[in-house]
Amino acid sequence: MGASQTLTLDRFESPTVTRDASGLFDPDRIAVVGATERDGSIGRAVIQNLETFEGDVVPVNPSRDEVFGRACYPALGAVPDPVDLAVVAVPPAYVVDVLEDAGENGITDVVVITAGFSEAGGEGAGREQELRTVAATYDLNVVGPNSLGIMSTPRSMNATFGPDIAPGGSLSFMSQSGAFITAVLDWAADQELGFKDVVSLGNKAVMDETDFVTHWADDPGTNVVLGYLEGISKGRAFIDSARETTQSTPVVVVKSGRTAAGAQAASSHTGTIAGSEAAYEAGLEQAGVIRANNVQQLFDYARVLDGLPLPADDTVAIITNAGGPGVMATDAIGDSRLRMAQFTDATIDGLRDVLPDNANVYNPVDAIGDADLDRFSAAIDVVLADENVSAAIVVSAPTAILDYDGLADAIVSARDEHQKPVVACLMGGDRTRSPGRRLGDAGVPNYFDPARAVDALSALDRYRTVREREYEPPATFDDVDRDRVRAILETVTERETNRLGVEAMGLLDAYGIDTPAGAVVETPEDAVSTAQSITGDVVMKIVSPDITHKSDIGGVKVGVPNEDVYDAYEDLVTRARNYQPDATIIGVQVQELVDTESGTETIIGANRDPQFGPLVLFGLGGVFVEILEDTTVRVAPISNREAGEMLDDVQAAPLLRGARGRDPVDRDALRDCLGRLSQLVTDFPAILELDVNPLLASPTGAMALDLRLTVDPDQL
Amino acid sequence: MTTRLIASTRESTGKTSIALALARLARERGASVGYMKPKGTRLQSNVGKTLDADPMLARELLELDGELHDLEPIVYSPTFVESAIRGRETAEDLRDRLETAHEALTTDTTELFVEGADSIWTGGVVDLTDPDIADLFDADVTLLATYEQARDIDDVIAAADAFGDRFDGVIFNGVPDGRYDDVESDVASFLERRGIPVRGVLPRLPELAGVSVEELADELGASLLVEPATDGQARVIERFLVGAMSGETALSHFRRTKDAAVITGGDRADLQTAALDAPGVKAIVLTGGYEPSGAVLGKAAERGIPVLLVNADTLTTVERAESVVRSGRVRDEATVDRMQALLTEHADVDAILD
Repeated sequence: MGASQTLTLDRFESPTVTRDASGLFDPDRIAVVGATERDGSIGRAVIQNLETFEGDVVPVNPSRDEVFGRACYPALGAVPDPVDLAVVAVPPAYVVDVLEDAGENGITDVVVITAGFSEAGGEGAGREQELRTVAATYDLNVVGPNSLGIMSTPRSMNATFGPDIAPGGSLSFMSQSGAFITAVLDWAADQELGFKDVVSLGNKAVMDETDFVTHWADDPGTNVVLGYLEGISKGRAFIDSARETTQSTPVVVVKSGRTAAGAQAASSHTGTIAGSEAAYEAGLEQAGVIRANNVQQLFDYARVLDGLPLPADDTVAIITNAGGPGVMATDAIGDSRLRMAQFTDATIDGLRDVLPDNANVYNPVDAIGDADLDRFSAAIDVVLADENVSAAIVVSAPTAILDYDGLADAIVSARDEHQKPVVACLMGGDRTRSPGRRLGDAGVPNYFDPARAVDALSALDRYRTVREREYEPPATFDDVDRDRVRAILETVTERETNRLGVEAMGLLDAYGIDTPAGAVVETPEDAVSTAQSITGDVVMKIVSPDITHKSDIGGVKVGVPNEDVYDAYEDLVTRARNYQPDATIIGVQVQELVDTESGTETIIGANRDPQFGPLVLFGLGGVFVEILEDTTVRVAPISNREAGEMLDDVQAAPLLRGARGRDPVDRDALRDCLGRLSQLVTDFPAILELDVNPLLASPTGAMALDLRLTVDPDQL
Repeated sequence: MTTRLIASTRESTGKTSIALALARLARERGASVGYMKPKGTRLQSNVGKTLDADPMLARELLELDGELHDLEPIVYSPTFVESAIRGRETAEDLRDRLETAHEALTTDTTELFVEGADSIWTGGVVDLTDPDIADLFDADVTLLATYEQARDIDDVIAAADAFGDRFDGVIFNGVPDGRYDDVESDVASFLERRGIPVRGVLPRLPELAGVSVEELADELGASLLVEPATDGQARVIERFLVGAMSGETALSHFRRTKDAAVITGGDRADLQTAALDAPGVKAIVLTGGYEPSGAVLGKAAERGIPVLLVNADTLTTVERAESVVRSGRVRDEATVDRMQALLTEHADVDAILD
């Protein structure tokens, strides 16, 4: 790579329309463009993989008359019968022409396997730009480029160049890594995991995760949607679509690049800006998507969500023949969001009937090491019949008298009879293979480690709460002055930086967020007249976008009586010039003195996340945010309920409810401020970052005492 | 024969481009012009050999015949100053040298434009400050100043004082938008009342204040991994940010700037992608010779953000880059043309040249 291999492009805006993926997975006729018999080529792998496809396969390649006994055509236009899906595996220079061909011939669904696009540098990016343009011109649904391909098991369609087709089942899987797919499929074969559709997203030039998460919501063959993503292209759209999908179908995603080190790797791999971790947590949570932190969790969660009914609440019972593992399982529950169930008297009596005297009949139920299948399954039955038990974990160590296969069958029957989720921990090695398979075939997961079982059940419970949610639309406020905000934001164009400070507090007023009385003045005389119009002493602060830590340099004077205002003005300006001679000084803010002891300092803010758009942030001020980083975020726009949740999310929430003799703060006022801030940053995409620190919350309201923001002048 | 000294309160006021623009304007009015820079202060090497671009540009633009050693008789390098301190250069010798040069350059000219040093006091070591030179050449003096804050006026008043009767007026250059009205009205009337004529108030033009990506690449000896977009929009770099922090804080940091280039290691993909996302970042300079991933270059090309690669380390690169911007952009005729247009529109050229 060097100066000779460069390309110049203009900014490309990604589209926000969701594309229809339904044509990809159930075609009647597939054309493989670039099909060949040449050993080691992708075109050969693809056409060979499609041998099992129940529909028609047509090779397209101008340099061949036939491929593996099938008639081969020189171009898509030459294929006599209608083609529903084109799979493209030609060299990069030809791909765009093939797409045009597809478009000209009414073929709208295309999978581009070819690599050498934006993942490969400047020239490749140019090619990808062209690909997008052609796709837009002909309204094509394009997967890739740089994709492993796609699969759909009901008709044995393997339109990829990977070694295996997925085993059939009801998991649909999209991945930003093709290599990960081949590894998973090879592993899945042994794991009683089955798939419906599999998509290698590739470079996501046209179709991305939002399109697929939307499509699979309505697909009866998909029980769970799984994703491996390094970035989310259209964050807000993804949240809105996923939120709908998760009302009927669980979605589990590994979003990597979670840590600073991982983020660097992700950026290098796909050129995606990793985006803030907090934004992903918030965004995925608001969308009802369950996040897995690693590969193991991804499939553990997939299994429970696929095979087990949802629990009624968060209570769990443990039934075991091994006391020690029973305690470990109990600990794991203690660590989780689940609760140990409290049995009814009837259950306890029932257990006493079927278990020996020295057995433990409370939760965790210990049937003792000499339990045989009858005793064990009887105990399971009694426990699951209890209305206070929503889910169960059966933990067992192998013994000479216990028939493991029988236990597996008993667990499956218990789940079916009681319609409650049951997870197995049949501990052991060789002895668990056969029962493990029986359980797996019936959709009941089996783990060695009780902690994994608990983790999986927690995911199931999380999905239960997602399903129980009712959607509330974002709060809107009509009493806002957009023109005033725009005028204030536009002042940034005259500056050398993109920052505004307290001189912009008018925009908070414009959106109905209370600020203290006062003004930013440019002369000491004006300072005096402003101070005189305010009751009591004033606070005076130097106003300069170049001075960020005003208090450190003596740039803030609290409690200035009117007679000292003139001198205070001079002093502030002098100190500022001494500290930073070339700072731009806009003036001095003269403001009503608000007693901060009368309320609780909070922070509200906003940040434009590159993937999700505006985020709203809340925390308690002072050490809580600066040292403990105790903050919570949501993707804007937020509803009134979400604003309320934010207030409860922070660890320091009890302080808002009143602590150490204080009265509780006005929650409605705080929620209102958050909602108004949410609307402000949604209405004005030019606001990149905004901090109100502190927002003083008191029993009678909330008032913003300071403001800092960063503006993108190009978006005004 | 008039000699006109163009002096300056500080460096980077646009002295050279204004001197050359005025010379051309004088030529248009029928004068036959010459140029001299008695104390060359912009050097390519610091051992006394100079390839100061200013006299060379002058010679080209004004079609002069003069020898380089007359156009720039003294090279005011650190070595020179040290020699003077040690007594190896004397004030008398230097005055003679200047007078000889002055004579050589004014044989066929009616107006000689003399460019002062970055500060009017440079040369005190050998009694050749700008006021000394004004006396030596019997020159009229036009002062250049910037106006970024009120106290900049102090420097103007002090300079006017120093030049005494020779002082012919001040031109304010590179005045930011927000200050323009103040300078044109309040500041100008204040100075006029004190007997200091204000001959022009030139607004700040971004293309004159910064450096283009191509020029930057040239100066840094960088290879262009992604070239600037050819959409006709001039992209000017006015400042530099170093990327060495964590990825998340980087975005916040980069967002606050305008017309900036981010300088960071070629192996920092997280910072590179953050830079690509910040609206005010117009170019990325990668140091240490590490080539970035193809995916990042693809993203950069998509966004139209040029990417430069240098072998030097970050610190060295930052220093070089900042000095490129700081030292002003008089490298070509286009700049002088623009300056000519600015003078015609915002200055009283007749008053200056009379």
